[in-house]
Amino acid sequence: MNLSLKEFFEIKQEELSLSLVTNPETLNNEIISRHINRPSLALTGFFERFSYKRIQILGETEIGYMQSLSDELLYDRLKEMLIYDIPCLIITKGLSAPKQLEFLANEMKIAVLKTSQTTDRFSHNLRRFLDDYFAPSRTLHGTMIDVFGVGILLTGKSGIGKSECALDLVERGHKVITDDAVKIKLNDDKLIAMPTNDFGHFMEIRGVGLIDVEKMFGIQAVGLEKQIDIQLELMPWQDNMDYERIGLSDNYVEILGEKRPIIYLPVSPGKNVSVIIEVVAMNYILKTFGYEAAKVYTNKLQEKLREKSERRKRKL
Amino acid sequence: MIRKKIKIENKLGLHARPATMIVKTATQYRSDCRLIKDDMDINGKSIMGVMMLAAEYGSEIELVTDGIDEEHLMNELVNLFKSKFNEE
Repeated sequence: MNLSLKEFFEIKQEELSLSLVTNPETLNNEIISRHINRPSLALTGFFERFSYKRIQILGETEIGYMQSLSDELLYDRLKEMLIYDIPCLIITKGLSAPKQLEFLANEMKIAVLKTSQTTDRFSHNLRRFLDDYFAPSRTLHGTMIDVFGVGILLTGKSGIGKSECALDLVERGHKVITDDAVKIKLNDDKLIAMPTNDFGHFMEIRGVGLIDVEKMFGIQAVGLEKQIDIQLELMPWQDNMDYERIGLSDNYVEILGEKRPIIYLPVSPGKNVSVIIEVVAMNYILKTFGYEAAKVYTNKLQEKLREKSERRKRKL
Repeated sequence: MIRKKIKIENKLGLHARPATMIVKTATQYRSDCRLIKDDMDINGKSIMGVMMLAAEYGSEIELVTDGIDEEHLMNELVNLFKSKFNEE
């Protein structure tokens, strides 16, 4: 998914303190890379490894170097550089563009933008935006909830009771991020789950219809986005299914190439799933704090077995 | 109903892994399954129960299966014990 320069300029102009140096027609290019580049070496004439597909950042170093060149040499270098299909150049710290640059960029229809932010700050902000914009994403069927701060992706067949379960958790003071469709973005190694639209927190409850969770339960019952810590798959009880009994080994699922623990939870009438989900969340928190109940218990058991077996040996 | 006494022959005794194997086997059958050791009489389909026995190497427990597939269940359980739960 490419980003048109025009769109980029419109949505980020204010936040990144951007202004356009060249003619508006130069905004017709597209941003195709989430990386940025500082073209210092290209300006010195080394074009062999020039990452021209990236947004080019011109900081004090680059501008200073350009000013040190003679007018003719600078003109030739810039011409050589702007032959490449560069998405745009951005000058930082409110520095002014050398007149040759402005002239050539207009000629070659490559946009030159300017920001008042420092190079470091601007690069950081721009990278964060580009990383987010170009992040791999997918949408899947499920419900995203925040239970005690643990991000839980509820999945399972339609009608198994995901929405009802989320509602029950909201009643208990937890948050629903989105119901039915979850958009997931990969940010570094984090999986960020969010709603697929900005209509608000609506939910379908079978037999009732649509409800507005935020209107009904208040702002504390909803969240805009949440990292996925665990996937929890609700499934009808099956006699032969191999459910986890002790919890020493984790099952994992891969989402956008990232592994997350998955718990297969059998659902049967009369079972209070919300309490179990709270328990899953608390157990996860305990694990991140280094306490694993399953390990503690089985270690105690092993110790006891060793003791008893030694006592038996001594008796013989 | 079938009853059978069996000795724990794997060195580590009935720790978490063998206990899981017993429970997983027992839950695949419709018959009831009980494990008896000293004064403890527990349900073989309950993991906490089986671990609670703390049946160590060399000790003896009694297996009880009761139901329409009791023979098959008993055979499979006995095989598990005899194979030392694939641990040795």
